[in-house]
Amino acid sequence: MSTMTLYVEKNSILHNTAPLTKVLYVMVSIAITYLIPEIAFVLSVAIITLLLLILGKVFRKIVPILGLSIILILSIIIVQGFFHPQNQTILFSIGFVTFYKEGLSYAALLTLRVMNMIMSFGILILTTKHDELVEAMIKKGLSPKIGYVLLSVLQLIPQMRTTMAKITDAQRSRGMETEGSLLVRMKAFFPLIGPVVLNSINITRERAIALEVRGFSSNQKRSFLNISKEYRYQTAIQVILWLTLAAAIVWRILTWLS
Amino acid sequence: MAIIKVENVKYKYPDTDKLVLNDMTFDVEQGEFIGLIGKNTAGKSTLCFALAGLVPHFFKGAYGGKVLVNGLEVRQHEIGEISPHVGLVFENPFSQMTGSKYTVYEEIAFGLENMGIDREIIVNRIEESLELLDITEIKDKNPFDLSGGQMQRVAIASVIALKPSILILDEPTSQLDPQGTEEVFKVIENLTKEGITIIMAEHKIDKMAGYTDRILLIHEGKLIDFDTPAKLFSREDLQDYGIIAPAVTRISQSLGIQNKENGLYPVTLKELSREMGDKR
Repeated sequence: MSTMTLYVEKNSILHNTAPLTKVLYVMVSIAITYLIPEIAFVLSVAIITLLLLILGKVFRKIVPILGLSIILILSIIIVQGFFHPQNQTILFSIGFVTFYKEGLSYAALLTLRVMNMIMSFGILILTTKHDELVEAMIKKGLSPKIGYVLLSVLQLIPQMRTTMAKITDAQRSRGMETEGSLLVRMKAFFPLIGPVVLNSINITRERAIALEVRGFSSNQKRSFLNISKEYRYQTAIQVILWLTLAAAIVWRILTWLS
Repeated sequence: MAIIKVENVKYKYPDTDKLVLNDMTFDVEQGEFIGLIGKNTAGKSTLCFALAGLVPHFFKGAYGGKVLVNGLEVRQHEIGEISPHVGLVFENPFSQMTGSKYTVYEEIAFGLENMGIDREIIVNRIEESLELLDITEIKDKNPFDLSGGQMQRVAIASVIALKPSILILDEPTSQLDPQGTEEVFKVIENLTKEGITIIMAEHKIDKMAGYTDRILLIHEGKLIDFDTPAKLFSREDLQDYGIIAPAVTRISQSLGIQNKENGLYPVTLKELSREMGDKR
C-alpha cells in the first residue's frame, strides 16, 4: 500500500524526540533567522539544523529536496546580485554582467534562510510519524476534524491516483487516445477528469456517511488507542527553545532602540 | 417491546417531488433478522438511512412520521447519539475505510475513539469484534490492501465494535464474489446469536430465504408485505414488485409441492427435500 509519507524508520535521538518539540524547533529556528538578519548567525543556525539532520540519520534524504530548491536559490542569487537597490560595490563582472557585493550578501542571507527552513521542516517530516504528530496535536487541542483531514489525505490521494489509472485504462480500452502529441493529450483530459471527479464526489459522500455513523461528529472528548510515547528531557529542550526565541526578540528590540 | 418502531414515515429528498418513503409503518422485535427486499429505487437504502438517522439529519429533505430505535426518536436526536445504538454498513467496502488509519486494528478503533471510550475497553472491544468477524489474522494489515470480502468484514467489525443493538446492512454483499457473500452471511448469522437485531437489504433472494426470520417487501416507497419468507414468497403477485421468488420456491410452485400443514411453498432446499421425502 502506497502512502505519501517521507518518514524514515530509524533509531536516533531525533526519532526519540516528542513531535511537538520538533514542531517548536521548526518554528523557532525559522523565526530567529528573520529576527536576526546577520549572515554569520543565520549560517550557524543552518549549520545546527544540518548537524541535527545528520544526527537524525536522515541527511541523505534531504539532499534531493535541497536539490529541488536549487532553481529558487539560483534565481535569488541572480536577481539580488543584479538588482538589489543598495548595489554599489562591484564584486566581479562576467562580460557585461556585473555582480554587486550588497546584493550578493543579501542573496546569501535569503538562501541560508530558505535552506534552513527546508532542512528544519526536513527534521520534522523525516523523523516523525505523521499520525503520531497529528494525534499529539489533537491532544493539544487541534480539532479532530482537521486532524482527520491531515491524516487521510496521505492515504486517499494515492487511492485517487489508483482510480485515475483505472479510469485511464477503461477509456483507453474503449479506443480513446491518451498518449501522443500535446493536442491529443489535451483532448483526452476531459473524458478522463470527468469520471475521476464524479467518482471522487460519490466516494466522498459515502465516506462521509461511514464516518458519521461511527461518531465522527460527536462532541465527546476523544480517546486514543495508541498510548503517547514517553519522551525524556522534553520540557528542558522546549524551555531552551523558547528562551532562544525570547533572546532573539530582545536582541531585535535592542538593535532598534540603539 | 419492539426495538424498532416505524410509524407513518414519509420522506422525500431535497429538490425532488417523489415520496421515497410513503407512509410506512412496521415494528421489529429484538433479535430478529429482517430481510429488506424490493427492486432498485424502491426505497431500500433510504429506509436504511432513516433507521440510522441519516435521514433526515444528513440528507435533510421533507420528513414526516416517527421512527423509534431502542426507544430513541430518531428525529429528536443527532446522528452521534443514535450511532451507539444503530450500526450501518453499506455496499462499497472501500469507501467505508476511514483512510486515516494504517492497520485494521486501528481502523476498528476509529469509532470507539470518537466516542471517547476508555483505552482498556477499546482494546477489549477490538479483540472481540476481530474474533467475531474472524479477521484476527489480518489485524496488522493496511485496510486498503485487503480483498473486498475482508474489507467488508472489517467494515462490519468496526461498526460491531460500537456494540449497537441494531445493525443495518445495505446490500453488503453486492460487490462481493460468492465466497465473500457466504463469509458475510455466516458472520451475520453469528451476530444474531449475540442478540443483535439485524436489518439487511439485499438482492440475493435465495440466501435471504434461508437466513432471515421475516422479510419486508417494499415497492415505490410503500410497504407491501412484512412476513415470514415462506408466506411472502408464496405470494402470487411477487412479479409485480420486480421480485423473483427463490429458485426452490419456483420449482415447488411448478411441481405443486406445498407444505401440508399451511399450504405454503418451501423456500429452502432443506424444506423442499423434507416435503419431497414425505411424498415418497
